[in-house]
Amino acid sequence: MKARPGLCLAGSAFALLLAARLPGAPAAGDEKRPAAMSTAVHAFTYPHADYVETGRGRSGGTLHISVASDTGTLDLQTIAATNPKWLGRLLFDNLVYLDEHGAITPWIAERWDISADGLTYVFHLRDGVTFSDGTPLDAAAVKANLDRIVDPASHTAMTAAYIAPYARSRVVDRRTLEVTLSRPYSAFLNVLAQSWFGLVSPRSLAGPKAVLATRPVGSGPFIVASYRRQSGITFVRRPDYRWAPPYIGHAGPAYLDRIAVTFVPEALPRYVSLVSGQFDLTIDAPPQNAAAIRANPDLVLGNRINLGNPTRAITFNTTLPPFNELAVRQAFALAIDRAAITRANGFGEYRPTGAFLSAITPHAAPGIVAPGPDVAAANRLLDKAGWAARDADGVRRRGAQRLQATLVQVDAGTALSPIVVAIQADARKIGLRLDIRQVTAPQLTQIRARNAYQALGPGYWHTNTPDGLYIVYHGQNIANPRFTGQNTSRIADPQLDSLLNQARATRDPARQDRLYAAAQARLAVLVPAVPLFENHTLVAYHRHLRGMVYDTSHNMPFLTTAWLSEPRS
Amino acid sequence: MMILRFLARRLALGLAVLWAAATLTFAMMNLTGGDTAVAILGGPDAMPTAEALAKVRAEYGLDQPLWRQYGDWLWRLVHGDLGQSYRLRIPVSTAIAEQIWPTVKLALLAGSLGVALAIAVALATANRKARWIAATASVVELVLISMPSFVLGIAFLLVFAFYWPVFPVADAPGLAGLALPVITLALPIAATLSQILRAELELVLEQPFILTARARGLSDAGVRLGHALRHTLSQLLTLSGLVFAALLGGAAVTESLFSRPGIGRLLIDATTATDVPVVVGVTIVTALAYVLSSLVVDLASALVDLRTASA
Repeated sequence: MKARPGLCLAGSAFALLLAARLPGAPAAGDEKRPAAMSTAVHAFTYPHADYVETGRGRSGGTLHISVASDTGTLDLQTIAATNPKWLGRLLFDNLVYLDEHGAITPWIAERWDISADGLTYVFHLRDGVTFSDGTPLDAAAVKANLDRIVDPASHTAMTAAYIAPYARSRVVDRRTLEVTLSRPYSAFLNVLAQSWFGLVSPRSLAGPKAVLATRPVGSGPFIVASYRRQSGITFVRRPDYRWAPPYIGHAGPAYLDRIAVTFVPEALPRYVSLVSGQFDLTIDAPPQNAAAIRANPDLVLGNRINLGNPTRAITFNTTLPPFNELAVRQAFALAIDRAAITRANGFGEYRPTGAFLSAITPHAAPGIVAPGPDVAAANRLLDKAGWAARDADGVRRRGAQRLQATLVQVDAGTALSPIVVAIQADARKIGLRLDIRQVTAPQLTQIRARNAYQALGPGYWHTNTPDGLYIVYHGQNIANPRFTGQNTSRIADPQLDSLLNQARATRDPARQDRLYAAAQARLAVLVPAVPLFENHTLVAYHRHLRGMVYDTSHNMPFLTTAWLSEPRS
Repeated sequence: MMILRFLARRLALGLAVLWAAATLTFAMMNLTGGDTAVAILGGPDAMPTAEALAKVRAEYGLDQPLWRQYGDWLWRLVHGDLGQSYRLRIPVSTAIAEQIWPTVKLALLAGSLGVALAIAVALATANRKARWIAATASVVELVLISMPSFVLGIAFLLVFAFYWPVFPVADAPGLAGLALPVITLALPIAATLSQILRAELELVLEQPFILTARARGLSDAGVRLGHALRHTLSQLLTLSGLVFAALLGGAAVTESLFSRPGIGRLLIDATTATDVPVVVGVTIVTALAYVLSSLVVDLASALVDLRTASA
């Protein structure tokens, strides 16, 4: 576990849900603007009231929630998918929490000191916090969690990668933990705020795996009452909870007595059962029903952009023909009609973007975007690059070479495949023949490991820091025998790598802003992938659900503050 | 003695079927590509180190040659151990036990309703003078048979849960939550069985002994229920056995549409995640359902034949 940068992820071939109340649709105007450096810390923000409690609620009642998929296990430190992000906030607490601008705020750690070299973090823990089995949440418990995450035997592949620079912890006293990193890592505290890093009782960690997967013990505002796989989970309130993140402005236990989660895998029943009132809240509102939800006076649609990297239309393998050729990648990017594809897939809820960081991610530079769309410019570029001849099918040629490629994507029967069909049609406009090969997820892992692909279909990476760029585009993260990295474009650009390394090594926000802006500008030139639209979360709920705030790391519902104006059981 | 030998032979045959089904599944899951260790650690979205992959391979014996893995697996299977689920981190037997009851409940209700409907419709429509009755029934049956179950299910959801909300949409306790999935599964079964049953009844109703019965003054209903139906029983039994076995294998689409847990969804999720122990475990359970139901059908048919002969 030496030097793996890590990060969180977001299921690549997943139907996206999210949505937010983005003002209007796609700012298509942005996309043609020439790349420019931005000094703004944020490109896009939500109201402060979305993140903090603004008034006291009323206790009582059961909140009925529908959600698309089961997680299989509640041992969230072992999960590599994004769907359980909101579940972690019910069961667990984290060392730190972000504010809405991405700055670190206290949670279980009241304060912390970081050495000048960025290698030593001393956490001073809040007093009196206990797990629901009575075990104190003290320095030894935090150490047990961190050690468990980096233990290669723990099945914690993703969380371990996120804190790869972690070397060791030392319990100074009950409330003081000293953590040593092997190298400076500016995103360390950010990732510790992620839901996957929720702290589990050491007794639970040491107990049987089946119990940990089914009824993990945390210190959070709710406790698992029952977990029926593929059916649902019931949580009950922990009455003595009083350590919510100070930033959300809530003291004491949660308002809701119980939370009953039901897995409703199909979109139509999820919509229908929300409207009928069987559920108060759906975590995965179907985008195709978003307009109807907005038109319904009883319902509220929450459409939120995720932090991290936006959804990519295509990721090029920059080491193999034809996409090892910059002109071909740039031409393809120019050919993709982002606005049209976004409209067709997001039903007016998704926001197209050509940027390499999502608009709400700290240090996102909204003016810096991949080129396009401009089909005429794409054709000129290819003509100039020697691909001027065309065969009878209209496919370009250069000597004996034909301009064609195969895109590999997981056949998940999800909403993403229309995107691939659309970019296939866009490619045809510039004389590039794109074939599509559908594979299973296990096959894809093998194809990626063997570097046996020319391009990959849509994907995104969600993390709560701009360091997501390191995970997806740094040369260190190309899959190799030692490490299965997420840099599937296999771009290894010394200039880009250096910028991302420096951004990891400094904690000076102004310096990071310059470095990340330069890195994004470099990506806009290299186009290892073509950004398409923001990665959205769409939730929908009845108006009688009040007080819900959004998690600053994941932009998902944080239910400690939620209450029901008409409680039912 | 006869019956014991019959049972022993069937038992041996059943075991052979189970072994073959499990072995084929084991082979297919292991040979169709993909690195199981990567799948266990999260699939394409994971970022495992070589060290973590090695630990997982050692933990599950994936570092052993395939023949060795197969041998170990068979040895454990013979001792009643289906292994641990890679994805759920619980024993496969627990995973199946959690999901089997909802499937059994759904299968029994949908199968029974389907068979009952089929009998009722076939009896009511076979050999009627007014040919349009059978013709109409036939067309409706054909439509139901040809319609994919999710289309039927969505139609029911829209009508009975949305526009006219008499039933809950998603998994709800009690019979109300079962109504729509049961009907969705039962109708195509009823339609298939009723087509076959009607044809059979029409043949029987043309037989001389039916004429004799009528001549004895038996009512039309009496003839149909008392005589004709009995002669179609053995075929009905065979078909019903197949229907129940198929339903016990899980109805993934219907389970999914109505947000119900069950074996079908367990199997699909396990397949996508390369959760080999669960896939093999569910296959064994499904094969067992087929073996047992065909055994029951054969025994029952023998019984019916005896009674038919003596009638």
